[in-house]
Amino acid sequence: MDPRESVTIAARSIRSHKLRSTLTVLGVVIGIASVVTFATFGASVEAEVVGSIGESGANNVYVLGQPSEEGGFGQAVQPVFTEYDVGEIAELDGVEAVIPRGTVLVNSVTHRGDTVAIQQLTATTPAAVTDEQLVEGRSFRSGANETVLNQVAARTAFEENVSVGDQITVDRSGTAWNLTVVGIVNGTAGELPIGGFGPQPSLYVPADPLYDTVVESPSINAPQRAYPQLTVIAEPAETLAVTDAVDAYLQSESDARQLAPAGVDLVARTSGDFAEQISDVIGQITRFVTGIAVIALVVGAIGIANIMLVSVTERTREIGIMKAVGARNRDVMELFLLEATLLGTGGALLGLPLGLLVSLGAAEYADVGLALAPFWSALAVLVGVLVGVVAGLYPAWRAARVDPIEALRYE
Amino acid sequence: MAQVQTDVVVDLVDVRKTYQMGGVVEALAGVSLTLADGSYTAVMGPSGSGKSTLLNLIGGLDTPTEGTVSVGGRDLSTATETELAAVRGSEVGFVFQTFNLMPRLTAVENVALPLVFDGWDRAKRRERARDLLDDVGLGDRLDHRPTELSGGQRQRVAIARALAPEPEIILADEPTGNVDTETGERIMGLLAELHAAGNTIMLVTHERRIAEHADRIVHVRDGVIERIEEVADGPA
Repeated sequence: MDPRESVTIAARSIRSHKLRSTLTVLGVVIGIASVVTFATFGASVEAEVVGSIGESGANNVYVLGQPSEEGGFGQAVQPVFTEYDVGEIAELDGVEAVIPRGTVLVNSVTHRGDTVAIQQLTATTPAAVTDEQLVEGRSFRSGANETVLNQVAARTAFEENVSVGDQITVDRSGTAWNLTVVGIVNGTAGELPIGGFGPQPSLYVPADPLYDTVVESPSINAPQRAYPQLTVIAEPAETLAVTDAVDAYLQSESDARQLAPAGVDLVARTSGDFAEQISDVIGQITRFVTGIAVIALVVGAIGIANIMLVSVTERTREIGIMKAVGARNRDVMELFLLEATLLGTGGALLGLPLGLLVSLGAAEYADVGLALAPFWSALAVLVGVLVGVVAGLYPAWRAARVDPIEALRYE
Repeated sequence: MAQVQTDVVVDLVDVRKTYQMGGVVEALAGVSLTLADGSYTAVMGPSGSGKSTLLNLIGGLDTPTEGTVSVGGRDLSTATETELAAVRGSEVGFVFQTFNLMPRLTAVENVALPLVFDGWDRAKRRERARDLLDDVGLGDRLDHRPTELSGGQRQRVAIARALAPEPEIILADEPTGNVDTETGERIMGLLAELHAAGNTIMLVTHERRIAEHADRIVHVRDGVIERIEEVADGPA
């Protein structure tokens, strides 16, 4: 039959039950919107995290400890790198710099009379603070009572903004250390790329003189500073070669290897490796949550099927009339299927922008940039249309089979 | 299918129809009847006599258990569901006691509905429906819904709809059953006009007064034709 007429008739049936149709469509809208929201938000988080890892230096090689047996709930294993290791790795081909990192535990930090319960400082080398990351001032010097703050610490941690030249007092088990602020940075080189959402306030200090975690180096049999984190900055083209070289060094005669507890492997990873792993995890979570959202869509489909069955019963007489004036079973089926498809399509078309809007809100809230998931969004619309078709099939088949004589007698 | 003379529109040969309803119910027990082109036949009988079954068989709503039913030269007894639909859409036009208009369609859309299934294009459908509504005196009610029309007006819309595909025969099932006497007379007047214009009409009723509008009255009882009565000259 004339497709335009079919649409007119189907649309009029939908309009004649406004509330009912609206609620049915709402079921699909919620389903589609949830799928779009979770898929889009997942993609946004993934893009944000992976992007920030990429930013933080593709030529960084991180050295980590990992439980050697897979599947165990190994705690994050802290390796220990001595200054001897730092020196050895710095000698490897293609290495630009080696940045060790340690934590100096403190009780509180005071700036202009405002004492804040910041409980750790990051001890590292002057090379960790690079020119690109400096917003103001310069890096600290080794052996000096100087500190560099990140922007979060400088702007939000204390009542008054901290600027270069200010004095900061650190209380360390009752001993007060006065440090001069020499620089403000926007991140530092060699920082692990996984920092959660939004950076924490950080204070960077030279390992000498504040950092005092010391072990006996097995290689040179003398006490040395030992750091839990180590980042190797490679020459850009040499990242992979450096990763292999560092790996090899760690497996052989390193202090780290000898000091590591049994069952711990030391591995070198690039930020690309991290990006991949994190991307995998976020992808899995996204698929899982989107899968749950699909349940909402199934419920929406059942809503359509339900309302269409009611509709077939209610309109038995109309079906009889249509058949009496020449409608074939196919025409009747087509009309009901079209009606269900319109409900599904309506739900999809309304659900898509709603889902995008909610993702935008969620992205804003989580402070990540919105990244669209065009494949999933297109799929959601397609599925919405399909949901209408599938949900309408059985009711439409029932409608087509209505016996016209019975139907015309139907009250 | 046997040769049917061109002036015969409906030909029933020894038609039987049985239903399974608890036991076997024989609605028609061997009926043979011929309706000539341009004739006006009334079928009378008490309820359960089989007169509605007769109408349903001629209208392609049902198929006989035995015997043949031809309408406009087409044998319906072996027709498929799709072929029956085509017959209902183009060979016959139904007029029902309860009007049976589509509640959400306007008068003009209701009249055009058979033409939708018959594959007419949109503009032609509307034009034909408008002309027919003009003919039945509803030219000013084209875009009214059935609920906005009186009983007599609804029945006139239904008659216009029955005429839309230029059918071989108009089948009217108690067309005056749901309207008052005066309106009923006007409906019958309209059918008389259609008859005068050359349409073949079959009317089912249980009222003699109504049946007498026809040329002849077929009396049905217990699934068989009791007698066929020629009506002298026009309504009494």
